[in-house]
Amino acid sequence: MASISLNKLNKTFGALKVVHDIDLDIADKEFVVLVGPSGCGKSTTLRMIAGLEEISGGELRIGADLMNDVPSKDRDIAMVFQNYALYPHMTVYKNMAFGLELRKAPRDLIETKVQEAAKILDITHLLNRKPKALSGGQRQRVALGRAMVRNPEVFLLDEPLSNLDAKLRGTMRAEISKLHKRLNATFIYVTHDQVEAMTMADRIVVMKDGHIQQVDTPQNLYDRPVNMFVAGFIGAPQMNMLPSTIQRLGTGFVAVFDGQTLPLPPSFDARLIEPYVDRQVVVGIRPENFHEYVPADIDPAHTAPFEARMELAEPMGSEVHLNLLAGGRPMIARVSPRFKSAVGDQVRLIVDMTHAQLFDPETERSILL
Amino acid sequence: MQWLEAMWSREGKGIPKDAPKRQGLALFVEIIAREFFELVKLNLLFLASALPLITLPAAVFASASICRMMVEDRNVYLLRDYLEAMRAHALRATVWGLASGLALWICVEAILTYGAKAHDNLVYAVPFAVSLLATGFIGLCSAHFVVLSVMSQRKVLTILKLSALATLARPLPVLAALGFAASLWLLHVLFYPISVFMPVTINISLGLFALSFAANKAARMVLGGIDKNATESAGGAFL
Repeated sequence: MASISLNKLNKTFGALKVVHDIDLDIADKEFVVLVGPSGCGKSTTLRMIAGLEEISGGELRIGADLMNDVPSKDRDIAMVFQNYALYPHMTVYKNMAFGLELRKAPRDLIETKVQEAAKILDITHLLNRKPKALSGGQRQRVALGRAMVRNPEVFLLDEPLSNLDAKLRGTMRAEISKLHKRLNATFIYVTHDQVEAMTMADRIVVMKDGHIQQVDTPQNLYDRPVNMFVAGFIGAPQMNMLPSTIQRLGTGFVAVFDGQTLPLPPSFDARLIEPYVDRQVVVGIRPENFHEYVPADIDPAHTAPFEARMELAEPMGSEVHLNLLAGGRPMIARVSPRFKSAVGDQVRLIVDMTHAQLFDPETERSILL
Repeated sequence: MQWLEAMWSREGKGIPKDAPKRQGLALFVEIIAREFFELVKLNLLFLASALPLITLPAAVFASASICRMMVEDRNVYLLRDYLEAMRAHALRATVWGLASGLALWICVEAILTYGAKAHDNLVYAVPFAVSLLATGFIGLCSAHFVVLSVMSQRKVLTILKLSALATLARPLPVLAALGFAASLWLLHVLFYPISVFMPVTINISLGLFALSFAANKAARMVLGGIDKNATESAGGAFL
């Protein structure tokens, strides 16, 4: 059983508190990704779980056992680092076998495990090579293999793909996901790349300044962010934030931004919106919720025309990112490549409000949750 | 010190999985380039373990065993595998050392004797030629015996027969390897004292590696039909 539980876990360096009383429960065999900007405390949290950083306060449990003072080697975990941390003077085989040799594992067992892991990771042909000859992707596979041979209950991966080029990152992402399914172990993965987090995780933990902002499945994080930070961090290009005023219109509500009226769909809980009538809110609209015309699957009543000046068009092949300016605020809309307009034009788009988010500008928290 | 770290941590070009394997001389050079420092360590190990002289044949077998693993692109734990091979082959190696030494001594004596007599009487040219051939055959057979012994667990007599078969089937690669080993010593002599460290650092292990490399294909060929395990464990392309 490799469930992990963090109870009020914190870390201080002198007077500086970098992780603030984190509570997190990770289920057995779950793939959890800690994501956040640099300095948010995600790697420190991972290193505390690994036993590489002393825990300043709170509890860390793996299964039912309190692990605060258990040495790293006795925690039945394996860690994969961003810089691979391979021994340069050892062959791939020896790098992978080293951990087992230290534990005085029988030679036959070491041979079997190394060969098995090499086969899974497709690095059999590299076993007798030194890391110096290997590419980044191959090194990362070896680092994964070194973790695998120990057959740990928990894999901790600290930005393992950050040193790889974009193409290889995509390939390795898929391989790590497959590996998780195959090994049936608990994975905790740290990254600052939200694409990695979204594509790999069962659940994502979004962190900022040593605090957990939200823990949820990738889709829920995307659809129902609890605050403006999560809304802005998850999704690329990021969500557009429009400072607006809520007004009543008939039996419903509208948000008014720069003189443009955006109807709030009836699916929004009126009781939650009511206190914000005639007050400032921030309306969050994802770039893909802008359209050239009203899509067939959306009720036209929940859409509104939206005008903005086009500053730049970024063709991405399958879509075009329009950099717009409305009410003095830069925005991004994702439209089809068929959309034709010139820089400086006043463009007219349709905004789908069914997926819009409302945030309190003071607390930055979602009004709708 | 960062340059030192960069030297270790800089990523390489990578090793393509499906790239065609090098063959023959190109493979020989590639393995030497890759395993050079291991060969130096092997040479030192050989010298240290052969110092008591009585252990010399076992050291030859152990070195050949390590070289065979390098040829087959298998992982080597130098000290551990070397000592294990020495222990495993100690008896057979000692018998081989004595028998080969004796046979070669007789052959050389015959060459010298018949060679001297052939000067006076041409009839002795025939036994002289036979002695020369026999010396070459025994030398090559002896080299194949070492390689076959470290590749297979079969009985001495079987290995002896297979050695003779391998010698008849593919004598040239091993002959070339013996020539290569001899040339290393010639270089040492020619460039002395610049080459003073050659025997200590590389001559012996490189010579034995050349021998293992050259004999590997013949050994696999003759073992192929009988010793399935040896064939299965052997991988890669050889000379």
